[in-house]
Amino acid sequence: MAAILQNLTYQGIPIWRHAQIIQWTAQVLSGFLVVFLVAWFFFNIANAIDEREIPYGFSFLERAYQTPIGQHFLPYETSDTFLYAFVVAAVNTIVVSIVGVILATLLGIFIGVCRLSGNWLVAKVALVYVEFFRNVPLLIQLYFWFYIVLVLPPVREGYAIANRVYINNAGVSIPFPFPDGAAAAVCWIALAVAGMIAGIAVHRGLTQREVTTGQPSYPLIGGFATAIVAGGVAWLVISFVAGAPLVVSQPAPQGAFGRIAGGFTVSGGLMALLIGLIMYTSSFIAEIVRAGIQSVGRGQIEAARALGLSPMSTLRQVTFPQALRVIIPPLISQFLNITKNSSLAGAIGFSDLMNVAKTMTQTAPAINIIILVMVAYLAMSLTYSLIGNLYNRHIRIA
Amino acid sequence: MSTVTEPVTTQLPPPRSETGLAGWLRANLFSTWYNSALTVVVGIVVGWALWYGLSWLFVDADFTVIGTLGGLLMIGQYNTEQACPGQNCFWRPQFALMLMSLLLGMSWSVAGGGLTKRIAIIVPVVVALFALLPYSLERMGWDVRLLLVANLPSLLVGYALARYTAVGTWRWVAVLSVLAFLLALVLLRGIPGVPGLQPVSTLHWGGLMLNLLLAVAGIVVSFPIGIALALGRRSQLVVLKTLCVVFIEVFRGVPLITLLFMSQVLVPLAFPENFPLNSLLRAAILITLFSAAYTAENIRGGLQALHPGQAEAARALGLPGWHTTLLISLPQAIRNVIPAIVGQFIALFKDTSLVYIIGMLDIVELSRKFATTYVENGMLPYLDDVHEVFIFLALVFWIFCYGMSYVSGRIERHLGVGER
Repeated sequence: MAAILQNLTYQGIPIWRHAQIIQWTAQVLSGFLVVFLVAWFFFNIANAIDEREIPYGFSFLERAYQTPIGQHFLPYETSDTFLYAFVVAAVNTIVVSIVGVILATLLGIFIGVCRLSGNWLVAKVALVYVEFFRNVPLLIQLYFWFYIVLVLPPVREGYAIANRVYINNAGVSIPFPFPDGAAAAVCWIALAVAGMIAGIAVHRGLTQREVTTGQPSYPLIGGFATAIVAGGVAWLVISFVAGAPLVVSQPAPQGAFGRIAGGFTVSGGLMALLIGLIMYTSSFIAEIVRAGIQSVGRGQIEAARALGLSPMSTLRQVTFPQALRVIIPPLISQFLNITKNSSLAGAIGFSDLMNVAKTMTQTAPAINIIILVMVAYLAMSLTYSLIGNLYNRHIRIA
Repeated sequence: MSTVTEPVTTQLPPPRSETGLAGWLRANLFSTWYNSALTVVVGIVVGWALWYGLSWLFVDADFTVIGTLGGLLMIGQYNTEQACPGQNCFWRPQFALMLMSLLLGMSWSVAGGGLTKRIAIIVPVVVALFALLPYSLERMGWDVRLLLVANLPSLLVGYALARYTAVGTWRWVAVLSVLAFLLALVLLRGIPGVPGLQPVSTLHWGGLMLNLLLAVAGIVVSFPIGIALALGRRSQLVVLKTLCVVFIEVFRGVPLITLLFMSQVLVPLAFPENFPLNSLLRAAILITLFSAAYTAENIRGGLQALHPGQAEAARALGLPGWHTTLLISLPQAIRNVIPAIVGQFIALFKDTSLVYIIGMLDIVELSRKFATTYVENGMLPYLDDVHEVFIFLALVFWIFCYGMSYVSGRIERHLGVGER
């Protein structure tokens, strides 16, 4: 004890001016303060639940939700449980975010490259695009697409294209291949994964060949072709040998009111949400891409041109791989943003996680639902940033 | 041997095809055959879009709907009979505007010129010009118009005040701005028992006023909180660091809508019933904390990019820890991340439109309600005007957001970011 005290009063510094002691006191105090505040918060809520008889508990998850969900990608009936409805809503959000991420990235890269085009008109159009879409709130853009552009006629006056595609205020119905039952679905997913793995393997092999021999080997084309061919062959084999065919469901008007049944219907809300999210996010991605490309030293481009690479090859093989290292970290946060921004879907009637959760609070304990929603969004965010950071580690200079 | 003093031949001017309009066109639009093709295709598309857009704007568009909505878009239900029975409360937001003009006048005097001067003059002049709106006198009385014009004398008073008294420093302007903002809030809320200042429930605050109040309060308060969080996250103190990391990651991992919804459902339970924490205040607090988490990450980026030699040199010169942080590290870190921080402020302003989730009528939600109620009731008188409403909204937000990013670009150039 005496030794510790002596150590603390090292060189005669009084205890109250000893940096370590001050810091530890501050930490302990702030820790206690926060713990106290959090405890107070939860204690009050627990008290309120008791006193004001506010419903609480997760038992509702077993009950039937009994409320329709507009558009959903998993099969859903109103007799399904709350838990399953929650999963259906979460899958809606995930699908929107993944489709949104892919398309927004492609569009954003395109616009970003256009911003740097030598063609004055193209560069200026891209500039106007970026400055317009990123400076107007997403909510207003969603309303714009939903209430103005996508105002579709009622079912009876809807458009039909070659009796295959139907467009009306229920959405756009297109023919769509659905797997015939759960076993077939698993089969198709396995096939798709196998095709993708084969494609990636071929891509790697060809890249390796190109790098070591210098022979042009077209790894990208080869990879895609392999994936498609492998998938197609497997499809044929399975369809004819094992007999698990893919049923192509055709949309067709049915009943007295001519409602469209069958096929796959993309609702107006989903279309507005996707278009809005993609336009909004791509304007941010375009600026990220532009900054990344501009960060590549001018000498790199000049050297590539001096070696005889075409402008397209320079961009693809010299500028872009280097720019990618600057682009990836902010791009990850845009991916997270698209997931979070998809929570605006409720405003235009698409049943994403937040919208369904909000509806659920009318028939189930709100507190538990909020806990679930926050956990679900946190899990999605953390997963995305994990994947993004792994990729970032993969491409960075060691 | 004689040196050549005269040029052998007179210098020819560059060929005509390389200068002037023709040269510019050739260099920028028609340099190669595919560039020419691109120019023609894009030109046709842009021309068609412009033709379509402009013909709609000048021929088909009917912006009378904006006029019909009028003050509703600006202040929401603030001056309606429910909010402010038997009285005219319109002067209160107008008085708040005059306070702003006063402060702008002071800034003009302190800055002396440049961009600040231009902004300080343009904003009150634009506000004053609203007095000329072609409304009938029943809808927009002399009192309203006079108070709008009064922004101009207010601007000049502010200028004179800063010019000829001791308050003409940035420090005073900052202090007075905070005081003026609080005064404006008190004025808008009202004081019970004071004649002419009867309380107006915050439920009735709305329109653009609500967006601006939330944004200004959010920006001003979230900035210091963000700095504190960034410093906390970088500190060596384990407990403090953990707390900051958890706070930042939770607020960044969840959509603002979810947080606002939580503020509506969960937060009231944590306080005694009848605790004076209304939904506007809860929304403001959550928007602020949400923005602070993002600002913290931006500032942390700036701190990380700083060369450690800066802090080491400061310590070698004998500066105590806090002085090193406040005088050496932070100013350089913030300077380096101005674009990101302003981007965050712009995002915060755009995010104020999300308060629809808790039933507050900001300018976007008001317009949507107005536009769709008629459509849904099948009355359809304003269906065609939905276009105009949303395009007007987009324009309003665009002006504010683009203005902010323009000013940020100017500040950046002024501070010479990227040159050192």
